[in-house]
This record gives sequence, structure tokens and C-alpha cells, in this order.
Amino acid sequence: MRRLRCTYGARPLHLIGLVASFALAAAGFVGWFQRPQDVAGVLEWFVAAIVLHDLVLMPLYALLDGITIGLLHRRVLLARAAPPAISPTPYLRVPAMISALLFAVLFPVILGLGGQAELAASGIREHGYLARWLLACGALFALSGAAYTVARARARARAARGRGH
Amino acid sequence: MRMPFTGPTKPPPGPFRDGFWRSPLRDQRLTALLGLILLVGLPVVIVTGLLSNDAYQPGLGGNALGRDIHGPLDVYLFGWPTHPGWLYALGQGLHVTLGLALAPILLVKLWSVIPRLFEWPAFRDPAHALERLSLALLVGSALFEFVTGIFNILYWYAFPFDFVQAHYYGAWVFIAAFAAHVVLKFGTMRDALSKRAEVLGTPGGARPLAAPNPAPATMSRRALLAGVGGASLLLLLQGAGQSLGGPLRFLAFLLPRGRTRPGPLGFPVNKAWAATGVSVSSVGTSWRLHLHGARTLELTREQLLALPQASYDLPIACVEGWSTTQHWTGVRLHDLAALCGVHAAASVTSVSLEHGTYGRATLGHEQVADPRALLALCVNGVNLSLDHGFPARVIAPALPGVHCTKWVSEMLFEPVSVA
Repeated sequence: MRRLRCTYGARPLHLIGLVASFALAAAGFVGWFQRPQDVAGVLEWFVAAIVLHDLVLMPLYALLDGITIGLLHRRVLLARAAPPAISPTPYLRVPAMISALLFAVLFPVILGLGGQAELAASGIREHGYLARWLLACGALFALSGAAYTVARARARARAARGRGH
Repeated sequence: MRMPFTGPTKPPPGPFRDGFWRSPLRDQRLTALLGLILLVGLPVVIVTGLLSNDAYQPGLGGNALGRDIHGPLDVYLFGWPTHPGWLYALGQGLHVTLGLALAPILLVKLWSVIPRLFEWPAFRDPAHALERLSLALLVGSALFEFVTGIFNILYWYAFPFDFVQAHYYGAWVFIAAFAAHVVLKFGTMRDALSKRAEVLGTPGGARPLAAPNPAPATMSRRALLAGVGGASLLLLLQGAGQSLGGPLRFLAFLLPRGRTRPGPLGFPVNKAWAATGVSVSSVGTSWRLHLHGARTLELTREQLLALPQASYDLPIACVEGWSTTQHWTGVRLHDLAALCGVHAAASVTSVSLEHGTYGRATLGHEQVADPRALLALCVNGVNLSLDHGFPARVIAPALPGVHCTKWVSEMLFEPVSVA
């Protein structure tokens, strides 16, 4: 038992559990082979999902954040003599993040990619999803701006009270 | 002492080095919290998904659409009940709404653990290698299931394969990898959530999630959680608006399914008449309903309207998570069964004039026996329109929408076999 642990690197239960999991996953793969014409496409999408997400999209959004809000933070905030009591950076990041996540999940409808299929199937094609998303982004930034104003006013009031005493 | 069995001891530059990862937001507790949310939410998505498979009654007639349902993964445990009538609307609404709401959580969870993808050495020992293979299956299947499911509800059929089979068997790959992950990581998650950050160790030489040399914080972890929580909440409302419909439909302002027009016939259409390619003459005065049972007969629409009519409020609930409840009037399925001499029907197969994927569907004895299961002729007090299945369509409680066959031309009642 200790020898297994040394060569394998974990408890025997770890190995048994993983083998059981692989067996079930393999049965799922076998299910895909019921439609042999689909297998290549399914596997391509399976692998592409990992590669595109981990090696393309994630570096891309880290980069986008760095060259927009990150740069603004460094150039504008850190250049000041005294840092502000309330940093505006989170008030930019949170609405930007919500907008970006909405886009990441719903981009096919925002960009109208399913419009033809929608029209053919339902007889209705709605337009203006892009505008709706942009309006939602605008509302999120406006809300965040309002929250920032309130937070800053409260911080100033606190500071003024502190000086008064 | 374990020895690494591959790779040099010094990692290559870039993401393989600990110092590359500088976000001050990553740490075990953040990952554990996001993991806990997924641990609560994803089983609901899994169970409602499997129940939806059951609701399609793949064991009856041609409902399996060519799938081999005798495989070990084709869980088809029971016939599908008709009570409560909103059962399928609820189950599928949960499946789609929770799936949408969990998508941002999944994305941020993956972001929180991305440094582990570039661990060095890539494989410390066989256990580590197997676990990483399992994680590849977990990440791949999770992304695959979310992407195919979301693209499907958004009408973007970009994938070059059949949705049902790919999504169903992909779900089993996900269930397998998810279960292993929960078993292996539950203790780590519990410790991270219950202990203070200082006493948390990193198991067995794994790269710590918290950056060893973090950049100065420009936002708090609470702000990060507000961002992911806000996105999740908005998507939850989108799903809920689509699922509940009616006056709450406006909440789903970014979802294309279940669009409504004014008037008694304005409720959503999933397949319009124009998309069927069937000639209008086939639903004119020459249309007949062909009933097959112990005997065969043909009925005109006038003859159907002369039969006893029943009216019920029933939802159409679709696999894409939208539903709409309308007031239907028509002939009870069990009255039609009796007309053609079948007094205890095991099933009924409805055949449409349209020969698409769902051009025929088989309902079980639960549906035929339910007095609310109708061959509808009217809805909301007016005749059906072509888009809603004129001259006649099936409507039954708790049934997936695509099994409520439209433009019915033929019904085959199978009697209960007496052994």
C-alpha cells in the first residue's frame, strides 16, 4: 500500500475514484458514436472550448482590462499627489465586468447571429438586441456612477466630521 | 520524498513561473466560495436536464429520434406524469435559468484557478497527471454543455452536430468529471471556507492560488463578487422572464425565444407555418383527421367540432426554457381513443402534415388518460391559426412543447396489450 502511494502519489481511493469517473466519461464518449457523422464535430468543439477559453479569451480579457481600466488607474490615480479617499477604479470595473459577462454569455443574440433561424422558425425577427445591451451597459455605468458619488460624499462628510472634533 | 517524473526543475519563463500571476484577488477562499455556489446550483441543472430527457418519453414510438435508448446512460426511469400541469415548465425553466445564471460564476471560477493550468512540473506524479486529465474533461465538458445549451436557446445553430445527442452524452462526461472533482476537492473547499487564510496550506506541492507577489489591489474581492453576482442576477432575471412569460416577459430583454404579439393568437410560435413548406391546400376543406385504433375512421373539422368539447388553461413549455399558458378548447384524447374503439390506450402517436424532426410524437397512457389532454381546435375563444397548428393540434399538461404536435393529420392509438 505504501509502495503504491509512493509511486502513484496519492491514496488508493484517489486512483479508484478517478478510474470510475473516467469509465463513466468514456461511456458518454461512446454515446456520441451513435452518430458517427457527428463525432469529429463534437470532439473539435470540446477541445476548441478549452483552448479558446483558456489560451485565447482569458489572456484577451486580462489584456483588455490592463490596457483600459488598469492603465487609467495607473496614469490617473497613481499620478496624483494624494490618493482619493474613494478609488473610482472599482466603480468602473464592476459595471464593465457585468457588461462583459453579459456579452460573453449572450453574444450570439446581441450580434444577431441567430436572427435568420429565429425568423425562419418563429416568423418574428426582433432587432435591436445590440442597442438593448448597450443601454443595459449604460444603465450599469450610471448606477455605478451614482454609487460612487454617494460613497465619495459620505467619505467627505466623515472626513469633515473628523476635522470638526 | 516524491520525485517529479517529468520536466526540469526550473520552469520555463512566463505563466509557468509563480511570479507571473499577480492579481491580488485570487486565493483559495474566492475559489472555494465560487465552487460552493456551483456545487449547489449545478446538481439542479443536471437533475432537471435528466428529467427533461424523461419528459420526452424516448422509450415510446419514434420519440428517441434514432438514439439508442438501451445504452447504460439512457436513464429512462418512469413514464411522464401529467400533474402538475406546469411540471415541465418549472423543470425546464429551472434548467435554462440556472444554467444562464451560473455561466458567469463558472467563468470567474475558471479565472480564479487559471494559474494551476501552467503548473510546473506539468505532472508531478501519476496521481497528478490523472487528476489533470480529469480536470481537462471537467473544463471541456462544462464549457461544451454551457456553449451548446446557450447557443441553442439563442437560435444560433452554429455547431455541426445534432444538439440532443451531443448535449445529452456530453452531460454524462460532465457528470463523471464533476463528481470526481467534488469528491477530490470537497475537503479543500470546506477548509478554505472555514479556516482563516493564514492557516491554509497548499496541498501536495500544488501552486498556491493566491499570488506570492501580488500587485497592489485596485479593487476589493467584494467588488469582484459584486460584479460576478450582478451578472449572474441579470441572467437569472432574463431566464425567469422567459420562463414565466406574460407581464414579466420584459425582463428577458436579451433572449429571443417566446416573443409575443398582441391578440388572442399572439402567443409565441416555435415553428411557424411558413417554415414547414406544406401547401395551404392540405389544411383546406379536404383535410381529414385519420384515426387508427381497433377501427379506422376519418373526421372532418366540422365533425370534430360537433364532438363534446373541453376547455383548459395549459402551458406550452419548451426545451429552450420559455413557456406560455393559454386557454385551449378541443376534443379529449381519450374520447378520440374511444371513438376508434380503444378504451384503454397505452399510447397515441400523432402525425403532422409537417415532416420535420418533430413531425410525429408519441404520448404515453398517462397523457391519453388525462381529461385535460386535448386535440385542440380553438384557443382563447378563436379558431387556431396556421402558425398555432390549424386545423388541429395536441395540447397536454406537463408535456414538452415539441410533443404538442401541430397540423395533426393522423392519430394512432395503441391499446394496452392484455397478456
